[in-house]
Amino acid sequence: MLTSIKNNHLKYESQKLGMMYFRVAIILFGAQLLMGLIAAIQFMYPAFLYGVFDFSVARMVHINALVVWMLYAMIGSVYLMLPDETGIETVGIGLGKLAFWVLTAAVTVVVLVFIFIQIGPGKESSIWLINEGREYLEAPRWADIGIVVVVLIFYYNVFFTYMKGQRTGIMTVMVANLMALAGLYLAGMFFTDNISMDQYWWWWVIHLWVEATWEVFVGTLAAYALIKIIDAKREIVEMWLWIEVLMLFGSGILGLGHHYFWIGTPEYWWEIGALFSALEPVPLVAMFVHVLYDWGKEQGANGEKPVIKNGPAMAWLVTNAFGNFLGAGIWGFFHTLPQVNIYTHGTQFTAAHGHLAFFGAYATILIGMMYYGIQRAYGIERLKATFKSKMAITLIVFGMLGMTVALTIAGYEQVLVERAELGAGWDAYFVAQALPWMKQAMAWRTVMGVVMVVGFVYLIWDLVTIGPKEAKENNQ
Amino acid sequence: MAKSHSVWTSIRFWRQSAAWVTGFAVVLLILLTFDTMRQIKMGSKRVPAPTVINHHIDYKYSKKRGHEVPVIGKKELFFGKEWSPKEAAALLHKGKLTEQAKNCMDCHTLLGNGAYYAPDLTKAWLDPKWKDMQAMIGAKTREEAMAKFLQHPEMYPTHERRMPNLKITAEEAQALVAFLKHMSSIDTNGFPRGFSKTVSDFKAGGTYAH
Amino acid sequence: MFFEKFTDVYPSFWGWLNQGPLTLTLFLHTIIILPMIWLYFKEKKRLEQEDK
Repeated sequence: MLTSIKNNHLKYESQKLGMMYFRVAIILFGAQLLMGLIAAIQFMYPAFLYGVFDFSVARMVHINALVVWMLYAMIGSVYLMLPDETGIETVGIGLGKLAFWVLTAAVTVVVLVFIFIQIGPGKESSIWLINEGREYLEAPRWADIGIVVVVLIFYYNVFFTYMKGQRTGIMTVMVANLMALAGLYLAGMFFTDNISMDQYWWWWVIHLWVEATWEVFVGTLAAYALIKIIDAKREIVEMWLWIEVLMLFGSGILGLGHHYFWIGTPEYWWEIGALFSALEPVPLVAMFVHVLYDWGKEQGANGEKPVIKNGPAMAWLVTNAFGNFLGAGIWGFFHTLPQVNIYTHGTQFTAAHGHLAFFGAYATILIGMMYYGIQRAYGIERLKATFKSKMAITLIVFGMLGMTVALTIAGYEQVLVERAELGAGWDAYFVAQALPWMKQAMAWRTVMGVVMVVGFVYLIWDLVTIGPKEAKENNQ
Repeated sequence: MAKSHSVWTSIRFWRQSAAWVTGFAVVLLILLTFDTMRQIKMGSKRVPAPTVINHHIDYKYSKKRGHEVPVIGKKELFFGKEWSPKEAAALLHKGKLTEQAKNCMDCHTLLGNGAYYAPDLTKAWLDPKWKDMQAMIGAKTREEAMAKFLQHPEMYPTHERRMPNLKITAEEAQALVAFLKHMSSIDTNGFPRGFSKTVSDFKAGGTYAH
Repeated sequence: MFFEKFTDVYPSFWGWLNQGPLTLTLFLHTIIILPMIWLYFKEKKRLEQEDK
């Protein structure tokens, strides 16, 4: 991946820019894992870095690195697919490159401020310059505005390339969905004294991103990748894509209601949140069936030998289909009904779901796209998985599943003891945290986190070396 | 040829359906949002006005609604005085700003949202723990105990996991306590259920809080 | 058992629909899905005409 830009196999500047986004994304992924490890250790040994680099700081950088690396990889994927789908070079590519550097500089400054300044006094200036203090949206207001400008440039490029070039169904969904995705960010950019109002709009960004627009984004990526990797038929893939849009937005938009059970909002959200979000797993099953169906159908059709043009990418794509269904679908459904959620809301249950869902639904397919980018950058006809690719996916998936199971057990214990038995107060909280089963779960979570980090080392090693290695073998 | 007759494989049908469903769900969400905005604006029954800090607040089981609801009682002094609407609003504003600037949400949960490293703060004002803390800190009132704790949490450890010193000033601490008291008066449809109660308290109604 | 007295804080159209056995959510799902039947028959007619 390091030398891929110097390679001449990428015909379009847009695709080279995409590879640049991937590079930053994978570095931020590493930062996310490191911060997660610190936070996990603090759960076991609270004195670790106490008063120097507190849990709140590690956790803030952990989740912000997550969001930002995924946005980077998403933008990278779009720049990669844009010329393929439209048949032309991206318009305003020079501006796009400038935006990349501006965004990367801004992200660096924000992270440095998070790490070294951490918090500010209770004044407007802190919100503008240091930390907005709203989970996932901690980036200070100046950075918010910067992000909006950069995203506008990105969207301008995508939209006008789409208008100028060939308009496929995949790109139609992409263009419409990206507009919603970018626009929703604005809902998180204001201050109010009213915490209920604050949380109401905060969820517009968080939920309508991860449970609606990001999911549709993944659907479009998967459609594109299936065409490229296993020669799936465009008509079939695009028909599925529209069905997925229908079901994802149909359930996901009003599924927002499951965040409005307990934040001061009216009781009618119970019913809306419960039933619409209960349907949210359906499109995820559909996506899963679709990927496997296409795979099975394309293999050996017309008596040809089955060809998977990119082994590692396909492996991550199948992991995505499975992980999305399991993490977002099953783990989400676990606690989406208000009768259950009144006890599980704000416990380790949420953490278990959050980990597996973000990983299964997004991390997997974005890593797959990185492998696909490498294949293109080195002009490899058929990219086969190496030993390192296999180690990476095995260890990362195993580590993540292990963490999820540990957190689920911790959550179960917390729900029963702290919430159901003792009623969620200060003492109730610490009694539950001190129980041996909670401590064991937290220890296992750390162990599994280490497993995942080892997998990540293999991943980055593989991403750097697989291109040159396979290109050499293919040319012999 | 028969295949071309099937609507189920028609891209146009799915595209039109997707556009309709998405568009209409958005319209419904906007309508619902307008209604919710009306119900949760500051000074409504669900989210009381900042002057609620001048009142006694409890959290009691309501037979009618089938869960606990905040009960706003008679007047009581807050930090030794009654706050005018203007003063109370300014204090709450400062409290919310401090809550964000100190990044409370990346350890605690507020209304159940945030991180899971420390207790939920939704009804923190009502927590019976403050009685013990008041004695430990040597404070005359609950609000004084909370304010003192927030300024020097490292001095009053209750557990291996301690809150760090976030350089909260006396002014900010007072504002934060107001923010927490206000949050405890929000009608959260019964979350958290059975806050800090045993079964007998639950049956008798009322909380440990006061 | 299924129909309850209005319990929410403020009366509203949505709150009123919320009193029966899942009436609010069934109502919303129905009005979202019903027009798809019309879309279906419109598309079927179009496909048949195209075939002629």
